[in-house]
Amino acid sequence: MQPSNLHELAKWPCQDIVFCAAASDDSRRLWIGSSDAGVYQMDVAEEKPQRMKLSGEGHSSYVTCLTRCGSTLVTGSYDRKLIWWDTETGQQIRQIKAHDKWIRKIISTPDHSRVISVADDMQCRVWDLASGTMIAEFSDHPPMTPHHYPSMLYAVAVSPDGSKIATGDRVGHVAIWDSKSFETIAEIETPVMYTWDPQKRRHSIGGIRSLAFSGDSQRLAVGGIGKIGNIDHLGGPARLEVFNCQTGERQLELEDNKLKGLIEQIVWGPDDAWLLTAGGDNKGFTSFYNPESGEMFHQEQHPAHIHGLWCDAAYENFFIAAHKQVNHWSMAEKEA
Amino acid sequence: MNLNAQPSLNRRSSLNRRSLLRLAGAASTATLAADMSSIEALASPALTESLKQSGKRVILLWLAGGASQLETWDPKPGRLTGGPFSKIQTCVPGIEISELLPKMSSRLKETAIIRSLNTKIADHGNAYQLMDTGRTPEPSLKFPHLGATIAHELGQRDSQVPDYVTMYTSTEGRRQGTAGFLGGRYNPMFLTDQMMPANIKRLDSITEIDHRDRADLRDLMANIFDRKQSHPMYDAHNSAYDRVRGLMASDHLFDIEREPQSVRNHYGPTQFGQQCLIARRLAEAGVPFIKVARAWWDSHGQNFETHQELCADLDHCMSALLDDLKARGMLDSTLVITLGEFGRTPDINGSLGRDHFASAWSCTLSGCGIRGGSVFGKSDEDGKTVIEGEMNAGDLFATIFAALGIDHHKEFMVGSRPIPIADFDSEPCFDILA
Repeated sequence: MQPSNLHELAKWPCQDIVFCAAASDDSRRLWIGSSDAGVYQMDVAEEKPQRMKLSGEGHSSYVTCLTRCGSTLVTGSYDRKLIWWDTETGQQIRQIKAHDKWIRKIISTPDHSRVISVADDMQCRVWDLASGTMIAEFSDHPPMTPHHYPSMLYAVAVSPDGSKIATGDRVGHVAIWDSKSFETIAEIETPVMYTWDPQKRRHSIGGIRSLAFSGDSQRLAVGGIGKIGNIDHLGGPARLEVFNCQTGERQLELEDNKLKGLIEQIVWGPDDAWLLTAGGDNKGFTSFYNPESGEMFHQEQHPAHIHGLWCDAAYENFFIAAHKQVNHWSMAEKEA
Repeated sequence: MNLNAQPSLNRRSSLNRRSLLRLAGAASTATLAADMSSIEALASPALTESLKQSGKRVILLWLAGGASQLETWDPKPGRLTGGPFSKIQTCVPGIEISELLPKMSSRLKETAIIRSLNTKIADHGNAYQLMDTGRTPEPSLKFPHLGATIAHELGQRDSQVPDYVTMYTSTEGRRQGTAGFLGGRYNPMFLTDQMMPANIKRLDSITEIDHRDRADLRDLMANIFDRKQSHPMYDAHNSAYDRVRGLMASDHLFDIEREPQSVRNHYGPTQFGQQCLIARRLAEAGVPFIKVARAWWDSHGQNFETHQELCADLDHCMSALLDDLKARGMLDSTLVITLGEFGRTPDINGSLGRDHFASAWSCTLSGCGIRGGSVFGKSDEDGKTVIEGEMNAGDLFATIFAALGIDHHKEFMVGSRPIPIADFDSEPCFDILA
């Protein structure tokens, strides 16, 4: 699979904002979370796939995140709830009030036994997938910024070997946790991700929006946005930093001033051959980097800000959750 | 020249005179206004002394850049335009506001919400001018901004404190405004870089005794002069000196270190909180109009994160201010306004931002003269248009004046031209007046 092969197979415009997406193993069915509070299934193998709303009480606000573990889908929302769904029946299985503030991200462990959520109550919580029981909660993220405003906990990732969890917040603080003891094993600071404007506009922008461990679980990529002059807009450089998880050493520090905005998603390629970042400002981007040299070797502009990105195990199918559209891309060779 | 505030004309005759005099008066007005000196303005007779003695005050919390009505006073959860935040029930049954304002939700009995502003102008500069003066500008006439008008109406001639103080420490959108045809006497003490006024300290080279002796000598000579040749202008001249001495002695009002720690804690650590505390100190000391600008709400990108920060600041500081005013028995005589130049678009852009929007937005009035726990006006289910009780800037200003007991029909004579204190055709919203 070559990044330069990445091309669009389908585009499905919509009226809402789509924040997250996950597909079935065969990439024939897609689930998305929407700003209309709905969780939808799309049979994307069909020529004109229709959205089918999953049934149940559902969410009452933006569905910001989801993760699929076999036939179970778990979604998180600004309504503070996590909801379990059965992807075969399209029915809601359970819902829990999981956090005291807005849920930003949910992921599942590699063995699909647990799901992990982060929210603006600054807590990271680990849940048993089967029972919905909370297994642990921990935080290394102060509720207030140094400037006395509410902080936000946007990002969480789990390493492919399942041994580490990373959490990243508004002010650029990353904590790496042992996934068994839930003790902190490393801390990383990325202060450039947080822009505080003390004079012109007197508020902040930015924050760590994406985290991803490398395939060998030894490196952690951190995505966000660099310093912004005018914080009214997302007019700052897309910023990517890569750290050695053991030493905390920063190995890469990259900024893209061509296609600006937040890096919302990071994907490590097969054998860590490349790093894919996706996000945007008013529009979107995808950028591919060499994780050794930091060289950007392929980039595409997208018409809409990319909030979520899912790719299959073979790195062939990519589904994009974006502002008022959903896209299906492929990295397979184009058919002649 | 004539700058007397005249008794109100009836509405019909006022309108007729407007149409007759607008053209005729325009040319001469500019010259007259430009020639106006602060001393002459100070000497204005026909003051409504009873009103001035009433101790009424205004604290304007200026939400510079334009706060989102959808994330504050007019939430629309469940709509595509509504954003992610839910609404919460306030202490007033039937009134709900954004969950980003939890502290204000328990204090809404003091506050009226206006949800039906349609001010049409959605660029910062012109909208600021509109919401600062209550009317669209005319090239030939400089209208006074709200603070200057209030200072003119409520300020006491012999006051030892400033009539009008503005705190605007952020640089974005900072505009001093103008007292316009009211004259420089009513321009604000404008604090930008620091919260303590500059240039009111006695020079180190002059001792306190020298300073007092010079004042005594000047007073003695003025009294001798006055006995021989009395004139209102000389009174005004003396009054101006008194005011300068008063201003020099008022620096302590800006020093919040003089407040108990518990009070400072109540207002919190942010600059906005500290400035709200200064505003309370100034109001308590008799300053009739204080504007605290909280910039910058212009959230074209990341509207929801911006409002998470700024609403937390507004919610805490506004609540603390209302609590403090109430505890001191000042809320009945102090009108607290939250207002900006416009609101924000219901449509959410690709950066999860909201852009400028003046067609259906909100503000609040709390305290003096206001029927708390009320809501006026209504926007449609998506917040895109006003469907009930449309209000423009002139009506809002008329409501503010009425809440303070100022006759909104009152007119200033600028040259030969009558200028109503609130814009032509404007009417107060009696629904939210106590």
